[in-house]
Amino acid sequence: MTAQYWEDVEIGARRDLGCYTFTEAEIVAFAKKYDPQVFHVDPEGAKKSIFGGIIASGWHTAAIWMKLAIADRKRAPRESPLARAGISPGYEDMRWIRPVRPGMRLSYSSQIVGKRELSSRPDLGLVLTRNEARDETGALVFCFTGKGFVERRPRSGELSQSHTLSALLPSEQSGEHP
Amino acid sequence: MTSTLYFEDFHIGRTFECGPYPVTREEIVEFAQEFDPQPHHLDEIEAQSSLLGGLAASGWHVCAMTMKMFADHMIPLMAARGGSGSREARWIRPVRPGDVLRVEATVVGTKESRGRCDIGHVTFECRVFNQRELAAMVYMTPVIAKRGGTP
Repeated sequence: MTAQYWEDVEIGARRDLGCYTFTEAEIVAFAKKYDPQVFHVDPEGAKKSIFGGIIASGWHTAAIWMKLAIADRKRAPRESPLARAGISPGYEDMRWIRPVRPGMRLSYSSQIVGKRELSSRPDLGLVLTRNEARDETGALVFCFTGKGFVERRPRSGELSQSHTLSALLPSEQSGEHP
Repeated sequence: MTSTLYFEDFHIGRTFECGPYPVTREEIVEFAQEFDPQPHHLDEIEAQSSLLGGLAASGWHVCAMTMKMFADHMIPLMAARGGSGSREARWIRPVRPGDVLRVEATVVGTKESRGRCDIGHVTFECRVFNQRELAAMVYMTPVIAKRGGTP
């Protein structure tokens, strides 16, 4: 059974999220909307670029990781839905190591590499994941460290909390303003 | 149009403004259906009881919209040669339908290429603000820039 609460998440647990084949049409459609650089949108122009042909936007490669991770979560056998999860405060160290070209088939994976308590939110814990995509030769193409909030097991006698994330966010007067 | 900016033009602290990007409910839902089909990105009612407290864009969608603003403004300006990754992103505040985003891209690091004399790496800190001037996301991203005087 897959973990339900933060306490159940096991460091080292790894899941294969499945494979995805990138087509030129999808690469170009994504990039026209979000990353219209010549080597993502123009097959002829891309030939003259340093990549020598069309390659996927790194954000497309990342978005496909999310797509496969959600599909995997829906497939995973559970006794009950995972306690509130699926919200992330961000990621670290995202690397686009090799170009993703049309026709390439990437296999994605996700491994739990760490857990942190949150002093500001005793009802939530943070889970760190190492996420990868590899090509058909096994070479690493894409990786990043993901972070996700997972609900902690309610302690007995404690009312379950139902507030939103606002307590984690900087107040409107504080720090993030330039 | 402004003349091309080369690696040498990116001094630490130099800031560029990109945007705006109006965020629609339709686009939030469309992106989420394709890449991040979780209730808090798809359904207003279910989103109310989620940690985000209402419908909000996928963080990956916010990254993609930020890339679009950066690409529209910076790519025509600079002799860009692509990127190699994104060091860190912090999704600080939910991006809601009706928000209008803008980006402040500040040069925070420059590094000559070890192997190639015709390019260099420029790291930008991109701070994404909504129409209330509240930070929605910060991310750091290195971009490969062509050096001046090279073919």
